[in-house]
Amino acid sequence: MTRSLRFRLLAGAAVWIVLALAMAGVVLSGLFRDHVMARFEAELGNHLAQLATLLEIAGDGKPVLTQPLSDPRFRRPLSGLYWQVGPADAPVLRARSLWDEILQLPKDEVADGEIHQHRIPGPGGRFVIVMERMITLPASAASPSANPIRIAVAADESELLAVVDAFERVLWLSLGILAAVLIAAALVQVAVGLQPLTRLRDELAALRSGAKRRFDSAVPSEVAPLVADLNALLSHSEEVVGRARLQAGNLAHALKTNLSVLANEAEALTPETARTVAPAMARRVTLMRRHIDHHMARARAAASRGLPGSGTPVLERAAGLARTLEKLHAGRGITLTVAVPPGLAFAGEREDLEEMLGNLMDNACAWARGRVVVSARRGVAGMISVLVDDDGPGLPVDRREAVLTAGVRLDESTPGSGLGLAVVRDVARLYGGDVRLADSPLGGLRAELMLPSQD
Amino acid sequence: MRLLVVEDDADLARQLTERLSAEGYAVDRAGDGEEGQFLGETEPYDAVVLDLGLPKVDGLSVLRAWRAAGVATPVIILTARGTWSEKVQGIDAGADDYLAKPFNMEELLARVRALIRRTKGHASPEIACGPVVLDTRTGRVTVDGRPVDLTAHEHRVLSYLMHRKGQVVSRTELTEHIYAQDFDRDSNTIEVFVGRLRRKLGVDVIRTVRGLGYRMEEA
Repeated sequence: MTRSLRFRLLAGAAVWIVLALAMAGVVLSGLFRDHVMARFEAELGNHLAQLATLLEIAGDGKPVLTQPLSDPRFRRPLSGLYWQVGPADAPVLRARSLWDEILQLPKDEVADGEIHQHRIPGPGGRFVIVMERMITLPASAASPSANPIRIAVAADESELLAVVDAFERVLWLSLGILAAVLIAAALVQVAVGLQPLTRLRDELAALRSGAKRRFDSAVPSEVAPLVADLNALLSHSEEVVGRARLQAGNLAHALKTNLSVLANEAEALTPETARTVAPAMARRVTLMRRHIDHHMARARAAASRGLPGSGTPVLERAAGLARTLEKLHAGRGITLTVAVPPGLAFAGEREDLEEMLGNLMDNACAWARGRVVVSARRGVAGMISVLVDDDGPGLPVDRREAVLTAGVRLDESTPGSGLGLAVVRDVARLYGGDVRLADSPLGGLRAELMLPSQD
Repeated sequence: MRLLVVEDDADLARQLTERLSAEGYAVDRAGDGEEGQFLGETEPYDAVVLDLGLPKVDGLSVLRAWRAAGVATPVIILTARGTWSEKVQGIDAGADDYLAKPFNMEELLARVRALIRRTKGHASPEIACGPVVLDTRTGRVTVDGRPVDLTAHEHRVLSYLMHRKGQVVSRTELTEHIYAQDFDRDSNTIEVFVGRLRRKLGVDVIRTVRGLGYRMEEA
């Protein structure tokens, strides 16, 4: 499920839509609440100011209202809007709307002119918002000194909450509908956007069933490189399969010829002829093994050609082969020297380089009297040239071409020649390189292996 | 000389064991990597023929385990693939020689002989001790150029003593190197073999070192 492109696109869209709309909802309801609150406070402030203006000291020294407050709700019992004048525990004047209750103002020292706001339980147990201040009524005959007095107005907050609740209900409902519509739109968009991929899948099925050989429909530019790569891969594998078929045919031919010889020999085998025939049979088997090695090396090199690789450092591989050959030829007193500068790299597979270099070095060790030297240098036109020198008997010029051709062995008694050198040439040529034989300054044979350089 | 053959193909293992035994070696056989690794670590072999493609534990891992455990027994690797990359890997893992399948039995025998000879410190294929000469290529023993007929067990005892020429070889060591693992060993028979060898060779080259064992030295 999570690996489906459709699911990922949709899940992504849904997450962002819900998140964005939820944030919008929170911000909008916050703004609205602030606005309503500001209006509410402004109104309370007005009422408080009016109360202050209408209050004065009567002739008996008690505060009185010169006229009722303008809002009729102050006169309707428990209307939700109240005022009160005097200390909290014993108010001297109250709005009619308070009926028989008083506002339980908190103990609070309010400085003159300063307005304080509280949230307290009001009439009927409902919470009210109270705004209060101290005012100082002018002195009169009845009370000659200044008369500081606490005045307060209060309004039921449930009114405020009802407005906010109603707004939020509508807000969240409309945002929910909006989210659903947006997700549906994303669904449509994803379906339309992924349609070319569905078409590709159909084409792939056609390709697999053999109805088609390549992807050929128009595809969006984003997947065009992928489709081009796939087409190239298809061409490559078609080529490889074709070549493999050819190679298998060649190998089968080479093996079957030898097998028929072996079968004939086995049929004619008697205890008397066994001693003479056995070595011939063993030679056939060796030949067959060489054929297999040869075709395996070719097949591997052909398959890896044309695929990008990281390159193979020549020095490391030559050193590894030298270690191996020193052991395999131990006891013959041959000194193997590797004088390859570091940094030279062959643009191809490690196994192919080891196969070519291994055969050349093994051949050199087989013929050398005491010294084999492997060196390398950068050649012309992006090639590197690896030299394998020995101090053996060397090889006459007119025989050199022959040993590089498959199936030829100059000396049946010394191993390592024959198909080995032919493999080297085949693999080198598959990489666009070659191998040449020349006289060595050491006195024996020099094999020069030319291969493409990595850089 | 005692050999270990680690090969999972039953036919090839049988051919190897029969041929190597016929050449006078005491041969143990292991059919998978686990058994091979155990035998190689616990028994004192003179050489091992190790196939690379083995069940349970592959040959290269077995070889690395032996070398890590300090087992220095010379090892010849057998493998079907025979690419140079594989040879390099095998030698770097601690192998001493390498043979690609299908191989020629004579070539394997020659390599085993040469390997054992080299690891015991003999450069020449002929080991001489006074008038007694052992040709490791053919197994022929001569005294002053005159061939001596030996039974398989006598040959094994003499061959081991010749390879360790100049060094003292205990009876236990001799027993361990001339009998295969499943053979009923009896160290008293060693004395019998040595006695017969002394008679057949006619020269005094096998010395008894009292309480320690035997030593071959030029008379």
